[in-house]
Amino acid sequence: MDSYRQEKVQKFEEFVDRRLKPDLTRAIAERDKVFEQQKIFSDLRKNIENLEKNSVTSLRTLVNLGSEVYMQADVPDTQHIFVDIGLGFHVEFTWSEALKFISQREDKIARQIDEYTRLIASIKAQIKLVCEGICELLQLPAETSVQEAIF
Amino acid sequence: MQNLLHFANFLGSFRACSVNLTDQNPLQRINQINQSVMEEPTAKGTVTSISSMFPVDDVQKAAKRVQDALSEKQQELERVKEFISDNTNLINLVQKLPEELHHDIMVPFGKAAFFPGRLIHTNEFMVLLGEGYYAERTSKQTVEILKRRGKVLDSQVDSLKAMMKDLQAEASFFDTTASEAAEGLVEIREEYGEENLSERTSESGLLKQDSSRLSEADNLKDEDELYARIMSRLDELEKEELAWEIENGSAESKQNNVAKSDNAKYGDEDNELEEAELAAETENRSDENKQNNAAGSDNENNEDEQANTVSDQFSNQISLDHNLRHSECTGLTVQAALEDAKPRTKSLATNVNVEANSAEKALVLPKEDNVATAPLSIQEISAQASKPEFDRYKAFTESIIEHNYNLQTDQQEQIRNTSKPSGSQSSKPVSRFKMQRK
Repeated sequence: MDSYRQEKVQKFEEFVDRRLKPDLTRAIAERDKVFEQQKIFSDLRKNIENLEKNSVTSLRTLVNLGSEVYMQADVPDTQHIFVDIGLGFHVEFTWSEALKFISQREDKIARQIDEYTRLIASIKAQIKLVCEGICELLQLPAETSVQEAIF
Repeated sequence: MQNLLHFANFLGSFRACSVNLTDQNPLQRINQINQSVMEEPTAKGTVTSISSMFPVDDVQKAAKRVQDALSEKQQELERVKEFISDNTNLINLVQKLPEELHHDIMVPFGKAAFFPGRLIHTNEFMVLLGEGYYAERTSKQTVEILKRRGKVLDSQVDSLKAMMKDLQAEASFFDTTASEAAEGLVEIREEYGEENLSERTSESGLLKQDSSRLSEADNLKDEDELYARIMSRLDELEKEELAWEIENGSAESKQNNVAKSDNAKYGDEDNELEEAELAAETENRSDENKQNNAAGSDNENNEDEQANTVSDQFSNQISLDHNLRHSECTGLTVQAALEDAKPRTKSLATNVNVEANSAEKALVLPKEDNVATAPLSIQEISAQASKPEFDRYKAFTESIIEHNYNLQTDQQEQIRNTSKPSGSQSSKPVSRFKMQRK
């Protein structure tokens, strides 16, 4: 029976290491990407609100040409802003439209994050379950030996 | 071909290098036998399996590790190459921008939004020098900065490539070692033993001597030269033997000739080789006898005198051995040799005659180190027996070594005459020999 138990224990451990743990890492990576998106859009929203607050019409910025070599750029009219709505499309928005879009986008991102969080939680639960099973298998032999000692 | 095989055995024993035990061609089998024979009495050599020195698993793991390191370096190399290409593109852009006063562009606003705008001050560049320090430079100055950066990247690439090369060499070494260990190669080291030519009682003994003498692990250079010589000699012998087979028995003389000519160049080792060769040939008495008889009938009797002496010794020993066992054959071989017009045959026949006349003395001959003595004895012996038929042995041109017999000088003079080999006569000695042999 011991060898059979050992086999089972090994199988469970293998399952955890090969399937569950990589799944967990992958899910966490995906969720991190969505977090980034969320941050980008929240920054954009803050910037647009800033522009609106200060009524900034023109802008002088430094544009990164590559390898951290910057060149001055001038934005004459900041009323129209092109926002990336996904799939390679950029739509020309006014500030208010842009803000509306950004808020919708943020909601969607939040829902995605929730999904990923639930998935990660389920994977973690599965790992915990398998570990408990292994512990049970390992404890039983210890319990029987203890009982015999008592007798 | 038996002679060649035996000769090749010694060749194999010369090379004290790794022997693949799994190969079972005759040469290596005999080599193994030689080694076993050698190691029992002399016990000087060590046989270490390469797999014991480098365990197969470890070698494979090491090879894997090296492969991983190699792939890592490869990835880094790719990254640095990317940087270099980016740098080159930027140089081009920086050179191109000042051509216009303004450039209409889409100015990025964060990661997800753009503003339409224009690039202004097209000759002013802000370059990050690191640690939060920027430098405002013109286009030309920026290009210089970027070129200097490019040089740094190039040197990085060179160092990475050198490291990769070293890793590759390491990997190839591990691979070959792993394959060798898997095949079961064995490293054999033998110490140089003293020459011992006094005992030639058995072929294995002879083999042992030659092997121990010739398989020195120390003097590799001499071994290589010897090996080359022996290889050339072997080739010549092979050719001769082929011709002999074609001529139905004249190959032996060629072998003798070749052996003689080769011996002329070599030192004692060659003599020993020949002696060993002779001893090896004693196994195949009938063939050797035929060959000996045929030697005389070979066309290549005009070789060096020294070569002749060696071959004489060679043939002498062979014939002597033969005579020991077949006294009747002795007489027959003499007759056969007599009929043969070739000196080799004559020498062989005389060897046989010597045996008949003075077996003891003939026996002494092979045990002498001096190659010269053997031919002399042969000559003298032959002089005695074949004096009346001397005219036939015109091609006998080897030098003769002193012996107790009379007619020595006469024989030598006669022997020095050259004659044309007659292939037809070779058959006669062979047939007569065959008839007489039981």
